Amino acid sequence: MRVPYSYLREQFADSEPILRDIKGLLESTQFTLGPPVAEFEARFARLCGARHAIGVGTGTDALSLSLKALGVGPGDEVITAANTFIATAGAIVQAGARPVFVDVADDFNIDPGKIEAAITSRTKALLPVHYAGQPAKMGPILEIGRRRGLPVVEDACQAISAAIDGKLVSNFGAAAGFSLHPLKNLNVWGDGGVIVTSSPELDGKLRLLRNHGLVNRDEVEIFGHNCRLDTLQAIVGNHLIGDTEAITAARIKNALALDAGLRPLAPRVRVPARLPNERHVFHLYMFEADDRDRLLAWLHQREIEAKIHYPVPLHLQPASRRLGYREGDFPVAERQAKRIITLPVHQHLRAEQVRYMIDSVREFYHAR
Amino acid sequence: MTTTMHVKYMDLPRQFEGGTIVARVVEEFKRCQFVLGPQLVEFEQRFARVCGAAHAVGLNSGTDALFLALKALGVGPGDEVITVPNSFVASAGAIVMVGATPVFVDVNAEYLMDPAYLADAITPRTRAIIPVHLTGNPADLDAIGAIAVRRGLPVIEDAAQAVGAAVGGRVVGSLGIAGAFSLFPLKNLGVAGDGGMLTTGSREIADKVMLLRHHGLRNRDEVEVWGYNSRLDTIQAIVGDAVLDSLESVTAARIRNAAFYDRALAPLAPQITVPPRRAGVRQVFHTYVVQAERRDALREFLASRGVETKIHYPIPIHLQKAAEGLGYKRGAFPVCEAQSERIVSLPVHEYLTEAEQQYVVDRIREFYRR
Repeated sequence: MRVPYSYLREQFADSEPILRDIKGLLESTQFTLGPPVAEFEARFARLCGARHAIGVGTGTDALSLSLKALGVGPGDEVITAANTFIATAGAIVQAGARPVFVDVADDFNIDPGKIEAAITSRTKALLPVHYAGQPAKMGPILEIGRRRGLPVVEDACQAISAAIDGKLVSNFGAAAGFSLHPLKNLNVWGDGGVIVTSSPELDGKLRLLRNHGLVNRDEVEIFGHNCRLDTLQAIVGNHLIGDTEAITAARIKNALALDAGLRPLAPRVRVPARLPNERHVFHLYMFEADDRDRLLAWLHQREIEAKIHYPVPLHLQPASRRLGYREGDFPVAERQAKRIITLPVHQHLRAEQVRYMIDSVREFYHAR
Repeated sequence: MTTTMHVKYMDLPRQFEGGTIVARVVEEFKRCQFVLGPQLVEFEQRFARVCGAAHAVGLNSGTDALFLALKALGVGPGDEVITVPNSFVASAGAIVMVGATPVFVDVNAEYLMDPAYLADAITPRTRAIIPVHLTGNPADLDAIGAIAVRRGLPVIEDAAQAVGAAVGGRVVGSLGIAGAFSLFPLKNLGVAGDGGMLTTGSREIADKVMLLRHHGLRNRDEVEVWGYNSRLDTIQAIVGDAVLDSLESVTAARIRNAAFYDRALAPLAPQITVPPRRAGVRQVFHTYVVQAERRDALREFLASRGVETKIHYPIPIHLQKAAEGLGYKRGAFPVCEAQSERIVSLPVHEYLTEAEQQYVVDRIREFYRR
């Protein structure tokens, strides 16, 4: 049975309504910061229960502009997790600062107990990642931020609608960055991102930064970037944003079914604990597996498109060479990198596909 | 009294009128691989051919094309990059984005970098020169290039307004080490949102920019350098490819319209100064900029008669609030500053009719009572 990782074909099997609106856009030609962008921003802010949402070019830019707006720049350090998608650290470098990594915990998220030791006099912000759609431990992280006077920016690129005790991500830090990349839970037809904040000052600054620093057509208040969410992509987003809750619910349902099927395989398989007060939205369904590489090959053989997010932790990437890290610096992230595997969990999976994935993992371990 | 005619500055909806482009684009969208899809590669190859460059790399914006060209050349904090103060702010913004300091030199009567001032602006910290082909008119790359070679500095062409412009048959985008193009909707070649393109003859720079635009990823799992996310959407490449079919006719129409103004407005000197021409140069007239006495009154008069005009740009970059930290004062660039009070951009777009142009000319004459 084929279990593809990508679901775009199913999601856009009937794209006529979107295409109709895009036709309308091509005829009206309001391509840059047109009314659909403002509409999408308002709906996105509502979805997050936050005051402001600013449409930008990408999730990466959402993070780097947030850091810039908070005054992070050359000579500064920003603390983040060692096992995220590269763009989290890339955004820090983009702001001119230096990424400082902290090891993760069993839930694949930054370990709050290890943050303080990484803080130096140059630290200017904390950038926890709600990795895979699982909220980071925001209580202790915010407490550290408060105590040390450090603003917190949430990397919520994978975590739209995730929550802790009913409080949605993006409502914890000074700002939060979201990605609308085609494979995200809420996606568009190309690159796109959103920054969410409840601070009117940050909102104003970010709107300047994304649009060349222009206060109006002729006056430039600060040197900025060109980093606007295309109207075309906002139109797609407006069509899909209403589906977010249903998509999230379907992913959670699939994930819980996978949990139930895989947990009995402990200790060869380790599924992270699910805490009742946390809402994990399963952008990725990740677990740790003994003999991971062979399991991966086995699943591929069975036409299950399993993946690894990611096999090389950030501090061991060639790009990090000059940061001075070594193998052994982050033992948990390094061990996980060799053991983690990601199964398809998207909203278009059928029950028999979920069952087939569980059976395939079981067969793998029972066969040896 | 003549009837008022509405002469738009630009008529973008006309580009998509009739539905041919729209239908083709929408059909392609259905098969679209949204990120770095095959249609992007095709568009890049075609764009490179148009510019006579070996490589073209699709990016998120023209600003990013300049920014990533500078990054690929290793320009960063503590460095200086030379450009002009009369461009769109992004020419300087891209320099600030890499952490470097923009250093301006004054312009000549053609609104272009004046090579005579260039040598004096070069310091030991200078790392690159960015002449701007403003209005679609190629800067004097022979003179600028000669100085650059002597001082061992790379030249990046800011060709954001100049796709298809040429000097003696050599097309912009192939004259410097890299060329930066904008595909912003109002450009001669525009897409349905933000987009940019970097051209270069250097495989090494093309490779580096391809890494930089895609998070530094050598493959799915290996990150070679710290990068960015600045990919031209495949969807926008599809639009660009469709619009590229008409680039030659768009350019020809703009050149024809500019020639009409030249002939009709030259006799209005000294109140109106038409843009100078150099032999052997192909200007593509993204904008048609004249200098006018009593400019603001002229614009108001034209507006009252239905003629839309613009100013590109009323405040030079060195006098913007953003530039306060750079330490320039009014008077630093007298030519640019004088022009900023006299320049006005007349409609020159490809859909302009001769009757509309004649109307614009007649209203200008009426204003000056000539």
